[in-house]
Amino acid sequence: MPESPVLKVSDLKVTFATRQGPLRAVDGLSFEVAPKEVVGIVGESGSGKSVSMYSMLGLVRDANVTITGSVEFQGREILGLSDKEMQPIRGGEIGMIFQDPMTALTPVYTVGWQIVEQLRTHTTMTKAQARERAIELLSEVGIPDPRKRIDHYPHEFSGGMRQRVVIAMALSCNPKLLIADEPTTALDVTTQAQILDLMVKLQDSYNSSIVIITHDMGVIAEMAHRVVVMYAGRPAEVGPEIDVVRNPRHPYTWGLLGAVPRIESRNDRLATIPGNAVSPLDIPEGCAFADRCEYRMDICTKRPQLKGANDHLDACWLSDEQRVAIRTKASS
Amino acid sequence: MSNEILLKATDVVKTFSTRSKKFGRPHLATAVNGVSLEIRRGETLGIVGESGCGKSTLARCLVQLLPTTSGSVVFEGVEISKLSRRALRPLRRKMQLVFQDPYASLNPRRTVGDIVAEPLRINKFGTEVVIQERVRELFRTVGLDVNSLTRYPHEFSGGQRQRIGIARALALNPSLVVADEPVSALDVSVQAQVLNLMADLQDKFNLTYLFIAHDLGVVRHVSDRVGVMYLGEIVELGDADELYDRPMHPYTEALLSVVPELNDTDAPRRERIILKGDVPDPADRPSGCSFHPRCPVATDKCKEVKPALVEIRPGRSVACHYPKNAG
Amino acid sequence: MLSFTLRRVLSAVLVLLAISVAVFLIFFATPGVDPAARIAGRSASPATLEHVRAAFGLDRPIFIRYWLMMDHLFIKRDLTSYVNVGLKVVPQVLKAAPVTLALVSGAAVIWLVTGIFGGIVAAANRGKFIDPLVMFVGIAAVSVPAYWLGEVVNLITQSRLHSSLFAWVPSAGYIPFTQNPWQWALHLLFPWLTLAALYAGIYARVLRAELVNAMNEDYVRTARAKGLSERRILIKHALRCSLVSIVSLFGLDFGALIGGAALLTEVVFGLQGVGMLTYTSLQNLDLPVIMACVMYGSFFVVLANAVVDILYAFLDPRVRVA
Repeated sequence: MPESPVLKVSDLKVTFATRQGPLRAVDGLSFEVAPKEVVGIVGESGSGKSVSMYSMLGLVRDANVTITGSVEFQGREILGLSDKEMQPIRGGEIGMIFQDPMTALTPVYTVGWQIVEQLRTHTTMTKAQARERAIELLSEVGIPDPRKRIDHYPHEFSGGMRQRVVIAMALSCNPKLLIADEPTTALDVTTQAQILDLMVKLQDSYNSSIVIITHDMGVIAEMAHRVVVMYAGRPAEVGPEIDVVRNPRHPYTWGLLGAVPRIESRNDRLATIPGNAVSPLDIPEGCAFADRCEYRMDICTKRPQLKGANDHLDACWLSDEQRVAIRTKASS
Repeated sequence: MSNEILLKATDVVKTFSTRSKKFGRPHLATAVNGVSLEIRRGETLGIVGESGCGKSTLARCLVQLLPTTSGSVVFEGVEISKLSRRALRPLRRKMQLVFQDPYASLNPRRTVGDIVAEPLRINKFGTEVVIQERVRELFRTVGLDVNSLTRYPHEFSGGQRQRIGIARALALNPSLVVADEPVSALDVSVQAQVLNLMADLQDKFNLTYLFIAHDLGVVRHVSDRVGVMYLGEIVELGDADELYDRPMHPYTEALLSVVPELNDTDAPRRERIILKGDVPDPADRPSGCSFHPRCPVATDKCKEVKPALVEIRPGRSVACHYPKNAG
Repeated sequence: MLSFTLRRVLSAVLVLLAISVAVFLIFFATPGVDPAARIAGRSASPATLEHVRAAFGLDRPIFIRYWLMMDHLFIKRDLTSYVNVGLKVVPQVLKAAPVTLALVSGAAVIWLVTGIFGGIVAAANRGKFIDPLVMFVGIAAVSVPAYWLGEVVNLITQSRLHSSLFAWVPSAGYIPFTQNPWQWALHLLFPWLTLAALYAGIYARVLRAELVNAMNEDYVRTARAKGLSERRILIKHALRCSLVSIVSLFGLDFGALIGGAALLTEVVFGLQGVGMLTYTSLQNLDLPVIMACVMYGSFFVVLANAVVDILYAFLDPRVRVA
């Protein structure tokens, strides 16, 4: 893509100092988000996918955290900006949607109040204008009877409806980038479909780029143009969605895709990844996945770098021939 | 799988009284509304539905962890829904539960060895030596390190804790294991390990599973037969492959159509049916068919007449006036 | 909101009714004791006893007796103390009530302001030296007994430094507000501060804990992601949600203090409030006064609780429907 990226993350590292030693939550994450692009970050719990997003927005408020690397938003370095400098960006240019709509809204204010608050923080609208805009937004996200519902409190909405309110709020200032942290994980599948559908529609009309964080490969496949697969705070595989899903290159991605039970067909046994996720307290110097990898080699004690062709990169020492051999054997 | 019926439920109803929003007039929420089903020995019956559909309540009623409001439950030929607690006790050991949150269901102050040994001690399984040997055997069976018997639940990962929960459930050689969302708190790679383990155990010990989950993929993977629940009722019941490949109820069809698809073949994408609105309040059921306010094919008849769950083909039932794929 | 308020007031009235019955039963229907003798006090003459029996209808059915009692207390308000012969009880309580009310209300304003301010300052400066400092002052204020603090304050302002620094401090006592507002405030200043110290300490600590919890809530993260300033997040979001627990705490404390729990402060500063009245009547076994004080005290506890619940519903919309 010729246009300069909206977001460019390079070698992001997030480390928490703990009593047991340094906890490396994010360990060298790099990716770009082009204008109007949807990038999915997928990984299991503890893979650092949420922490990476929170830390770059300055939402990790832990005194023991060290964040290094670079995060450029529209060409401007935002890592290390003060709270004051970040405030116009947060909510104004980067909107966020959270996992649990039940707790993401302040319980004591009406939803209208909370949307108006955001509008008035970032624009010069009057109260009346902001209220009109809020009604418009609620109607856009599909809340029936918005003129009445605007004065309702969060607890008077269902989970799906609350997530719509959160989305309306995130979009209220026409952000260039929307970060959605597991936006449908807490929702039922029919509600999830409604919300994903809504996000796709809104992305069309608002032209924002989206970073969607999820553990669900299916959601990635529905939403994302490009995928970052994370393991132990590091990117294992990065590439266009269709390539990663159809021709996964990293053994972790193979396991992840094979472990999902499908509704289209049924096989007797699911592929599994042996063992448990590596603790972020002792990530090995070499490949973080090596301990659970069936194909581990001697060289795996050295850390592999992301490499590859055609925008499809992976961090693994296996050669192309080895991979072809393994995959052919697996599918036969 | 045999044709022997292990558990048969007929018209099970469970209501909860909740306080109404206006003045303290109590009103009733029907969590389970007249469910009839059979579980055959050795099979896995999956119950799938969205949150609040009553699937967990149904499971608890079937094993009498919750008293049923009305209806009958016959387990191994004994009507258990009217038994006293004391009379029920000898049957309890044959019906064991595995819960969703493996952490919340294990006592954090006891060693995992003690936790697994507890049902054995309560039921006077044998001398302490025999019990310890049995615990060790159970640990090996579920793939846990026997040397970790003296450790505490918090020292284990989510997947391992679920293995402990399974070991505890298997301790007394139950015939029926009710698994209520056993893998929904786990990461996919660990989820696959636990599902594979459960399948192995079923083969080894000829277990019967009642498997409750909201994840449609997981349910298809584990189940021989599947029941789909909506608002406290079973709207469709049948052979798993049959039901997934040719759903009859519009709700089942919509549910299956919206599961995010992995898009890893050239097959055309499914046509997605996005339901409008939310599930109604079980205290305020719609008239006629419970699903009619959200149903894309509802007619006036559906607003007035409640469809019964009827067997369209042997082993294939649906509660809809206009079932699809019925021909 | 209106229906909630009505319901809450109605239930408060019912509770008061129940309390009045309970108090009545304790004083008049305890088996084996002659209520007349208790009302009349120690070594009463037979004539007095006879008078008491007639006045309270002690030979009549129990509900008539209850009615007569309430009549004496609330309608005729002519309940008389037999220990201090001829002293009308109700006016006595009504005279003591404003003193207590003034003492507790003034102290409440001080402790709420300082407690909430202290809690916010501590929470906003978590991890800096000011937080433990505020918390230390708080725990010190909580630990010092009110009567001891009062005595020390008296010692300094009335005696040791009275001729120099604290010459402006009036001697102990109470001046009605209607008589001289300035003197009223001046007389109450040190009682207020003394009583408020303890509660300010508690409130600051409770609020800090609540705020620290609230700042970790999801909605605060949302507020940050909205680009709000830290100050606005703390005040408009975290504090607003934390106030709910402060309000419920306040209701209990305020009700109890009005009902007589400010006794020690009243005694130390020579204020003739309800606590003091109850205390003397208990010493004299002056039953009518005790009864009136109990009724008065429970009235305020119940009233304060009702007000708190209504305020609670005002602060937290989720309570309104329940």
